[in-house]
Amino acid sequence: MVTREEQDLAVKVLDEKTNRQLLYYLDICTRCAICKDACHQYVTTGDILYLPAYRAQLIRRVFRKYFTIQGKIIPSVVEATAPNDKLLEDLYRTTYACTSCRRCMYYCPFSIDTTWFTSIGRAMLVAIGRGSTILGELADAAIMKGDNIDMFRDILIDGLKDTENEFKVRVGDPAATIPIGKKGAHSLYVALAGTHTILPMAIIFHQAKADWTLSLFEAANYGYFYGDTARAKKIAQRFVDEAKALGVQEIIISECGHAYRVMEFLYEAWAKEKLPFKIRAAVDVMHDYMKEGRIKLKPGSLSEPVTYHDPCQVGRNGGFYEEPRNIVKAVAADYREMTPNREKQWCCGGGGGLVAESEFDTLREVSGQKKVEQIRKTGAKVLVTPCENCRLQIEMLNEKNNLGIRISSVMDLVVDSMDLPGAKPT
Amino acid sequence: MDWFSFIVAGIMVYVAVAVFLVGSIYRVIQWRRTPKSPIRQGMFPRTGNSLTRTLKLGKDSFLFPQVLDTDRWMWFFVIGMHLAGIGLFFGHLRLITEFTPLYNALGPDGMEKLANWVGGGIGIFLFIAFIYFLLRRFKSPYRELSVPEDYLLIVLILAIILLGDHLRFTKSFALQDYRDYVSSLLHFKPAFVTTIKFSAQKWVLDAHILTANLLLMYFPFSKLVHAMGGFAGNLLRSE
Repeated sequence: MVTREEQDLAVKVLDEKTNRQLLYYLDICTRCAICKDACHQYVTTGDILYLPAYRAQLIRRVFRKYFTIQGKIIPSVVEATAPNDKLLEDLYRTTYACTSCRRCMYYCPFSIDTTWFTSIGRAMLVAIGRGSTILGELADAAIMKGDNIDMFRDILIDGLKDTENEFKVRVGDPAATIPIGKKGAHSLYVALAGTHTILPMAIIFHQAKADWTLSLFEAANYGYFYGDTARAKKIAQRFVDEAKALGVQEIIISECGHAYRVMEFLYEAWAKEKLPFKIRAAVDVMHDYMKEGRIKLKPGSLSEPVTYHDPCQVGRNGGFYEEPRNIVKAVAADYREMTPNREKQWCCGGGGGLVAESEFDTLREVSGQKKVEQIRKTGAKVLVTPCENCRLQIEMLNEKNNLGIRISSVMDLVVDSMDLPGAKPT
Repeated sequence: MDWFSFIVAGIMVYVAVAVFLVGSIYRVIQWRRTPKSPIRQGMFPRTGNSLTRTLKLGKDSFLFPQVLDTDRWMWFFVIGMHLAGIGLFFGHLRLITEFTPLYNALGPDGMEKLANWVGGGIGIFLFIAFIYFLLRRFKSPYRELSVPEDYLLIVLILAIILLGDHLRFTKSFALQDYRDYVSSLLHFKPAFVTTIKFSAQKWVLDAHILTANLLLMYFPFSKLVHAMGGFAGNLLRSE
């Protein structure tokens, strides 16, 4: 049962996190519920907890109880409520289930940003020890790696030997290396955990003759998903400090929607500093290489019908609609657009940290049905998407719904359509 | 003026206008004094410059394209209700002064006909619209999402509309009677003319003014502040 101290702490977090944007959103929502048709989770489940305006309403109830005249004079009329057990349980389900796709913001007549509420909800839960356990553990593991990087460095470099050997074979250059810690390099590439986003980008950088170096850290930010700004900042700061020490001119974030969003739109506000370098998305960099002729893609090299999924954090919240499409269209003989797409596209259902939280597996499967419908309608056999979470989610949907498609990242698509001296290992 | 009318149609009108103005200014100051997060929240595609941003703001705030995309009946009643609200505002201005150019163009009969048709049409439309809004609230998921405030506001506005419709359709008082009353208010000497004072319809007028006063006083503390803050929300969309 929630204690008085925990309630006070949750309210204190709400007080500290209240800014002008939140105040507008708290005041102007008319509960018209136009957002009901925008959320893939509400549309597929009909559960009120997933209605965007209801997610906000939970925070509004607490805010009204402690910070408004109406909440003090007529609490029952405005449903002012203390953060009791029921409210906190609902808050957990609504906030950690939200994929932060912001499709509801697009459809809201007042452009209310539901993620403003869910991020505060998560922060309130974290403060009283009710945050997502798995997201907290993953965030702490990333911070621990940053704090002890000297201990991890050799292990990480050793772990890349096989990848580097494969890279040499693929580009036909025995002298080629995957540079790590290269001072003065133009770009610092921040990949994802594992090597699946290192090898293809290394090949692309090599073919484009780019001056780059690989980060020791991964781009994914579980502190952001967890809802703890301090942890999220620390996780991102690991490679910000690395970039400063190496003196690079830009950080290139791998195909990871939220990681790009964190760095391009959130980090400077959290850290209260202007970064001395640019933040770029890998998909934008690849597009530039293609446009400038630095990499050559074989037109029509992909004969199967292909479709493209706009990851929310890359498209609606990141600004890259045409760049990945141009790449896909450059190699696809039969490109098929999903409907709706771009700013109106449906979320795949895997963002917001959900793919890491097994408790939401069923919800992911059910709420992904809008995406399943869309994919089926295209008749595509290949789906390309530049986001790890989307890829993992759509792979699950593919398996559970027998879609019979192959899912590819943009970077894999690019590498597959380049003439390389070495063959791809089978 | 009897003591009830003096309180409701006299003193309370001043109080309501004062609460509405001071409350609205207070809310705007409260918003402006709260620090803004430097995080840019805009969605993509972004508008190119301040002109296109302003045009987008106007389109989103006055035409509700997203509502049209999602729920056509809701869009019809919402856009109609807002337009009718503007019509009502101007219609009530006629209780202060005549729209002389229009009056000269149409003549007394023409003006009266226009006022009857437009005012009556607005009154009927608003009644239907708010019945729609009320019934919608009883349907899932709106029912689960709604708070008592939502119903109270609709009922209060419906009461104002019904009482106003009654005054219009029964032609309880002449235009000049209303003008004399409004003029007395503006001169801080609230009084009803004899025709109102001794009419049974006076209570309808009192009730119309009372409910309108209540709405004005609650406005700055209700979700109706979206009339001011909605622009800020839509501006954040394209920053």
